[in-house]
Amino acid sequence: MIGVSIIFMGGILTLFLGLNKPEQWSKNTSALLLLLASASSWFEYKGILNFDLLFKWVPQQMLDISGTTEWMSALLLFLGFMIMNIMPSNDKKGADIPALMLFSLSGGILLMGAEHFVMLFLGLEILSIPLFVLAGSNKDNLNSNEAALKYFIMGAFSTAILLLGTAFIYGGTGTLNLNEIQLKLSFASHFGEFPILLKAGLILVSVGLLFKVSAVPFHFWSPDVYEGSPNRIAVFMAVIVKISGFYTLGNIFNSFAPMSAWSEQWILPILGITILGGNIMAIGQSKVKRMLAYSSISHAGYLLLFILIPFEENINVLATYSFSYGLGTISLFYLMDQYSREDKEFSMYTALFSKNKLHGFLLIIATLSIAGVPSTIGFIAKYQLFSSAFAYNQSAVLIALVGSAISIAYYFKPFKYAFDNSGFEKTDNSERFELNLNSVYLLILIVITVIIGIFPTILEYLL
Amino acid sequence: MELLYIPLILAIASTMLGKMLSNKWIWSGISLIAGFTLVLNLHCSHNFILSESIVDIPWLGDNIRFNLKVDGLTWLLLLLTNGLIPFIIASQSEDKVSKITPLIFLMQVGLNGVFMAFDGLLFYIFWELAMIPIYFITLIHSERERFKTTIRFFIYTFVGSLAMLASLIYLYGKTDYSSFSYDNLFAVNLNYAESIWVGSGFLLAFLIKIPVFPFHLWQPNTYVWAPSQGSMLLSGIMLKMGLYGLIRWYLLLVPESIDFYQPIVICLAVIGIVYGALIAIRQDDMKRIIAYSSLSHVGLITAGILTLSIDGLNGAGLQMLVHGVNVVGLFWGIGLIERTYKSRDLNDLGGIASKSKWFTIGFFLFVIGSVAAPLSNGFPGEFMLLKSLFNYNTTMVVFAGLTVILCAVYMLRLFQFSMLGEGKNESNKDMCISVNLELILFLILSITVILIGVFPQNLIDIINPSMDQILKELLNVKGVLS
Repeated sequence: MIGVSIIFMGGILTLFLGLNKPEQWSKNTSALLLLLASASSWFEYKGILNFDLLFKWVPQQMLDISGTTEWMSALLLFLGFMIMNIMPSNDKKGADIPALMLFSLSGGILLMGAEHFVMLFLGLEILSIPLFVLAGSNKDNLNSNEAALKYFIMGAFSTAILLLGTAFIYGGTGTLNLNEIQLKLSFASHFGEFPILLKAGLILVSVGLLFKVSAVPFHFWSPDVYEGSPNRIAVFMAVIVKISGFYTLGNIFNSFAPMSAWSEQWILPILGITILGGNIMAIGQSKVKRMLAYSSISHAGYLLLFILIPFEENINVLATYSFSYGLGTISLFYLMDQYSREDKEFSMYTALFSKNKLHGFLLIIATLSIAGVPSTIGFIAKYQLFSSAFAYNQSAVLIALVGSAISIAYYFKPFKYAFDNSGFEKTDNSERFELNLNSVYLLILIVITVIIGIFPTILEYLL
Repeated sequence: MELLYIPLILAIASTMLGKMLSNKWIWSGISLIAGFTLVLNLHCSHNFILSESIVDIPWLGDNIRFNLKVDGLTWLLLLLTNGLIPFIIASQSEDKVSKITPLIFLMQVGLNGVFMAFDGLLFYIFWELAMIPIYFITLIHSERERFKTTIRFFIYTFVGSLAMLASLIYLYGKTDYSSFSYDNLFAVNLNYAESIWVGSGFLLAFLIKIPVFPFHLWQPNTYVWAPSQGSMLLSGIMLKMGLYGLIRWYLLLVPESIDFYQPIVICLAVIGIVYGALIAIRQDDMKRIIAYSSLSHVGLITAGILTLSIDGLNGAGLQMLVHGVNVVGLFWGIGLIERTYKSRDLNDLGGIASKSKWFTIGFFLFVIGSVAAPLSNGFPGEFMLLKSLFNYNTTMVVFAGLTVILCAVYMLRLFQFSMLGEGKNESNKDMCISVNLELILFLILSITVILIGVFPQNLIDIINPSMDQILKELLNVKGVLS
């Protein structure tokens, strides 16, 4: 709870104080705020600090950010901190972009902590509305404007669908509180079939959220929007929106657990086409950013496995996977941003390893991690997800394994260019390693990815 | 444990000091001393039968443990790995040292881990870990078609490993304590249909890695275009991972499916023996000849393992070591020829024997070792394998026995066209392979061909106890089943 209040208040302050300062200032300020918020959430989760007195006024049946939600919010804030730091800011004045990112993040945390459909709707809107603005923040670029409009229209539709579903659920159960819904459903499950109103409600709500996390039949907006938005906004969408969206989906399906036998029937096909579709479509992409967009779609598919397993016992599976996915995606987007040229094709990576060793290592480690190759956190996460889902649904895990095999074909494409030194002439300063703050962050990314991959017991201390 | 972290430290050190200390002899020497001391040290403390673990600590949760054990088979493969890697490092040309050496050390970590791991997930992790450095060695230093060959190689092996992961996770789900430890996986009993599926996952991984006939499509191009260090690592050491996995992880964990897969795999292996040999006869590229001959030789080893007889397993164990030595020697020799004459095409070469006598003697020893002439190292192992195959099925051995004749055909053709006669290319006719430290090491390695050929029993004494143990356990389990 402390995390969301810090960044929300801090966001407002940054917005006003940074009015006439260059954006670098507000970027640094908000990064500091994010680190502070992340650390204090984690300390609160661990019980080292206690802020309960401050938040007595928050109604528990509406919003409950404690326990694993607290941990997830600390993770989200940490990933936000990483994004804010390593993605370069533009040289304009004003604090609007960092502040909007902070608001959006606080929306994501409210969404994860929602115990009530009204709160869930509120969180989703606070998450989305700043993003509509941010997607179009590159005002001179036609693609950026297109992305903003597309995202806005799609987002509005999905929200409307979600609201309709909420109404149906209210009609079916007479309550909007997730815990009460669970209680009522477990009573109702003894009396045979569930009413059609409730089924329709659950489908509509999940469709609304699956839009946000871009699962396959609802994914059409995402490559265009990612491509059009500025890079740091795209990575923000790929990481923050997806993680909070999946946590919420897990939360909802946890409440509807008595219906799980029925809901599996339609989750499974969506999962299958998301994994296979995302991976297969990614192979054909010639632009790096679109490839990353499709890769994030396929990761949405892997995360759907999480819906199939019981929520409470396996929450650390989602936590680990989000962590690894976040680190990998941030690294790959950062490299794409650094070397992006006009055509945005894979050849941008030409001679990367000779140009900058640190970036080369980051590319290798991040790719291996996101492809799920052992000795990285990505493998630990994938292994945990697959092995815990294997007990509940074996065919889904087999699809996921096939998907991981396909993904090698496109994840390894940059390597083709990164080690290709033809047409690249060495200059004296090209290989020098500069120790600045940015390279420290990159080193942190590399070290976390590898160390947790080799000593996964560290996760137990974090969790 | 030292076998894992000392190469890792060496890998990090050689990355850091890459520019300053780019002398291959230093790294080769350190690795030689470290490798041999560590492996011989293991020898002293174990009597070649599986006993208590070297290391056993919890790794991921309590049930997935970092568990390493050593028996005779493992010890022999560790000797092969750590014994050959100094030679492989020494075989580099000076300008590539700082780029390849760290990757070779990293690979050593993975290979040592694969052979020692006694926990399913740990085995899988080391299995993949060994694949990453070799992917980069081939990607960075291949001559042509870099990306196409390496991505094909990686996808092939990755698909196999994922199938194995699926099988391992399935077995894990069936264990009593949800544990990945070898003993618990071993204790699982599967019904027939399950065992076919689980067995297919393991077999796919191992047969692709070995490679056996229809799964070999990644192999020839990868061997040919990779730098010779890459080819040495791939064929000399890495494919032993597949053979080792077949013995230790497939046969013992899924014995229920052996009756189903035994004839299929032996048949494929025998097809591979003849197929590889026939193609090798028609090649002009020296590396390609060795690549296809490797397909033929490992086919015989695979068939021998699947006969489930003590001769077959002992022969396979011995032949794994021998094939490693021979192939590394041959690729090294070809590398030396290529560096001097700038070609490895049989049509361009010839007359090397009259210019570089010592080199020719060494190369000839590897050739006869590969042909399996009596008193060379290939003979005892190949003989045992053919004998075991003869006991299994007489028709099979007629085809498998062709390998002896066909191998002589293509290996002697290779030797004759490259070494004897007159040089065919005017521009490099008068060059010779200079006598230096590298050539001396090459000759030292070639002497082992005769040594092993004359004293094979010493090596068989090492593997026999563990193979005996494996076979007893296997027949015990199968006896309970049937």
